Amino acid sequence: MRVADIQRFCMRDGPGIRTTVFLKGCPLRCAWCHNPETQSNKRELLYYETKCIGCGACAVCNQNAHEFSDYHTIQRDLCIGCGECVTECPTGALEIIGKDYTIQELLKIIEKDRAFYGENGGVTLSGGEPFMQSEEAFLLLEQCKKKGIHTAIETCGYFSSDILSRAVPATDLFLWDIKDTDSRRHKEYTGVSNERIINNLILADSLGAKTRIRCILINGLNTKEQHYKNVAGIVSRLKYCEGVEFIPYHSYGGAKTVALGEIYLGSDKWIPSKGQIDEAKKYLQNKGITVL
Amino acid sequence: MEFFAVNGKRPIRLSEATRKFAFDSLNHKYGQDTCKTPAVLMDNYEDFENLSNLQKYDAIIERIVREAPIRICDGEKLSGSATLGLAMQHRVPATFNSEQGIFDSVSHLTIDFETVVRKGANYIQKQAEEALAKYIGSDKEPFIRSCLHCIRCMKIWHKRYLDELKKKPEYRTNYENLQNVPFEPAKNFYEAVQSIWFTFAFVRLCGNWPGIGRIDWLLGTYLEKDLANGTLTLNEAREILAHFFIKGCEWIKGGECVSGDAQHYQNIVLAGVDENGKEITNQVTFLVLDIIEELGISDFPITVRINKNTDNKLLKRVAEVIRLGGGVIAVYNEDLIIESLVDYGYELSEARKFANDGCWEIQVPGKTYFIYTPLDALQILQNKTLDNYSQRVSFLTFKGLYNKFICDLKSEVERVLPSRDWSWRSTTPCTVVSLFEQGCIDKGCSYLEGGPIYNVLSPHIGGLPDVVNSLYAIKKLVFDEEKVAFGELMQLLKSNWEENESLRRYALNKYAYFGNDNDEVDNIAKDIIFEFANVCDDIRCVYKTPAGISTFGRQIEWSQLRLATAFGKKAHEVLSGNFSPTPGTDKEGATAIIKSYCKVDLKRTVSGAALDIKLLPSVVNGEKGAEAIVSLIKGFITLGGHFMQLDIADASLLKAAQEHPEDYQNLSVRVSGWNARFVTLNKEWQDMIIAQTGSEF
Repeated sequence: MRVADIQRFCMRDGPGIRTTVFLKGCPLRCAWCHNPETQSNKRELLYYETKCIGCGACAVCNQNAHEFSDYHTIQRDLCIGCGECVTECPTGALEIIGKDYTIQELLKIIEKDRAFYGENGGVTLSGGEPFMQSEEAFLLLEQCKKKGIHTAIETCGYFSSDILSRAVPATDLFLWDIKDTDSRRHKEYTGVSNERIINNLILADSLGAKTRIRCILINGLNTKEQHYKNVAGIVSRLKYCEGVEFIPYHSYGGAKTVALGEIYLGSDKWIPSKGQIDEAKKYLQNKGITVL
Repeated sequence: MEFFAVNGKRPIRLSEATRKFAFDSLNHKYGQDTCKTPAVLMDNYEDFENLSNLQKYDAIIERIVREAPIRICDGEKLSGSATLGLAMQHRVPATFNSEQGIFDSVSHLTIDFETVVRKGANYIQKQAEEALAKYIGSDKEPFIRSCLHCIRCMKIWHKRYLDELKKKPEYRTNYENLQNVPFEPAKNFYEAVQSIWFTFAFVRLCGNWPGIGRIDWLLGTYLEKDLANGTLTLNEAREILAHFFIKGCEWIKGGECVSGDAQHYQNIVLAGVDENGKEITNQVTFLVLDIIEELGISDFPITVRINKNTDNKLLKRVAEVIRLGGGVIAVYNEDLIIESLVDYGYELSEARKFANDGCWEIQVPGKTYFIYTPLDALQILQNKTLDNYSQRVSFLTFKGLYNKFICDLKSEVERVLPSRDWSWRSTTPCTVVSLFEQGCIDKGCSYLEGGPIYNVLSPHIGGLPDVVNSLYAIKKLVFDEEKVAFGELMQLLKSNWEENESLRRYALNKYAYFGNDNDEVDNIAKDIIFEFANVCDDIRCVYKTPAGISTFGRQIEWSQLRLATAFGKKAHEVLSGNFSPTPGTDKEGATAIIKSYCKVDLKRTVSGAALDIKLLPSVVNGEKGAEAIVSLIKGFITLGGHFMQLDIADASLLKAAQEHPEDYQNLSVRVSGWNARFVTLNKEWQDMIIAQTGSEF
């Protein structure tokens, strides 16, 4: 599997202490993306300017992608993601995102924190969109379940509905994103429309999938009563949904976007106020929906 | 009145008056008062100079009990105060010809409160009287007479309090409650608390710093009985016990001190099994946690004995209090500790009674003389094995280097221990603590002269993770990757890495050092401790010499003596504390740190091996945060940890991380789905997170 990062001792990606595997590749291109380094399924070079001491060790590059005129610049179109420069860089200013693991290797890492999972904790596949690598994801989840490790998936819900028949039995909990319920806006800001996401969610529920709905709140875009009403409408159709969690937009993803050499499209204006967050929570609670 | 919390809100259960008392005490009111009367004056004592040390001591104790100011705080429920300031400096508080503190005092022990509470101090007096008959005419007679004298002195001090309380009708309850104890067995909970407090205060008044030990085990049955009889409510019991904690702050004096003004080795141990293996957790356990949660008093550091069967209710309560920050509560893995004591030779019933020396070193309370000898393993590696990076030594293999280090470690342990035919002689009299240490009266020997039943001198190794990292870096750089020749590396280290910054960064950043759950490096730690424990066990002398792992803050003074390290730290940096990863080298989070630490066979470090872990407030916030702490503790127990201190770091720590990112590599910030290491963010983003620390994302 192509992995962006593996984080142990995660507290916010499902119940208990978890190991979260961030997978590479996503069908969406959200303007507010919190983990932009997971979007592409390619190996990518991240460069943290503040850590660079200008030692020139990265000049080992066969492609001559590193240039030193007045300062260190990277010709990204020349980079093939081989990671030679990362090996040599003494400060960690260069990092390759996108490492390939076998299922067995991943299992070994996941099992490292077994003693801390207890009854609730376990593994969470995140990303990116884990089902971009659905075959391997199934295998990994199934193996984990066999070993008695709780499995969770963070998904954008945008995938072919065929996979659900295998995904649902292998997954103890889906953390399912509903980014926006306005189809036009959804397409404008994520690159795809939302019908498939919502249809998949309903289908998953009918197959018995336990879900927590995650809604990002973006000031000025979806901080609207109509959106909350739509969310409530969708949730009311779900039998196995544990509740809804609102995730306020933050611009931290920007640091990583810059390290990727790209331009960050997010804006501080998108950060919702505490009042807006409370309002959204209250709306759903008034409809009898659990807010997590 | 706000009682500080790093994280979350402190509940209110205690009365306004008790909270006010706590507030004043924590804000130095009584500590500053104590400073005003440092000591009793012996100048006008007839022929003082020509007395023997023991006679001098007896004269001093009598003067202390007759002249030390009596203090009755507004509204206090417990009587007795250690009101002489020199005691706070670990001296018997007396001066002669302006010599301050003629005698040193005693710490690192937990005295025998059990006998005092359940049998009364008169029982000890009776034992001394019997011993006198036995030892009359022998060289032990003076010590036994000193014991009887010190009990008489305790009674004189006791009477002064009774007389003073009698004059004040509003303290009638205190007066009545103090009449019976500590000389007779306590009849109820209130008397039992007063009995412990008065004895503690008396021992401290005479300069000593004892620990408290297992307070819930001491008090539990009394509370249970009173609640059943209906003579006391749980709320009343909480108020009484709160006064014990508040009065324990009477030495907080504010101002600058080397290691803080509020740590006099007065630790408390909670929960765990009794000598028959039955769990003792009771209502007192939970009352103590209530009090710490509400007042945030850190003066009695708490360690909770956890085992595989510990009730979830207790674990959850412990986690809820830890979550508020301050690092007051730590945990012991009692399964491992009892096993380790039994393996070492203690009877099972004795092992089950374990508490600590007032800090965290394991001992059987009320029966143990304890002292430890610190060793800096990193200096042994740098000065001995690598000969201060001179070009005189060279190693062709990693194994050769490792073996030489083990050799040097062994000879150093043997060097620092006192001669094996050590004879029990001490010029320092210490009768007051000897009264409360089983064995002393019986043997006719003081605490410092082999009197207690167990006598422990524990070699404690420090800087272990730094040594492990140094060895591992040399292994990788020189022998595995051949990045640099051995001699060349020694030269670089001698120059404090001046000549090759790039290689220094490489060494610092490229390898997963101790604390990252990397078997290759953790096994080095495991092997060293195995060898170290063997050396300690093989020592034959009048002491037991169990191994321990600690630095107790010595990493600060040691830093001045340490050279640059092969893993990229420059000379004089402050490195690993206790058995925790070297700052900045742990990058995988708390679970990986615990895993690395637990790979060492900690049953062999019988004295203890302390692990300190800092967690971000945002990680332990709310219900979920308590759950995380419980899971960490459970994992720690399952994996075979020994002692763990979880601390919650606040925004000021994040600011320090911003200024010295190299030391805070492990600080990851996790905000619902998004993740990054704090130090890889630029300043703007870091500022944002600092501003949001503790908020409910």
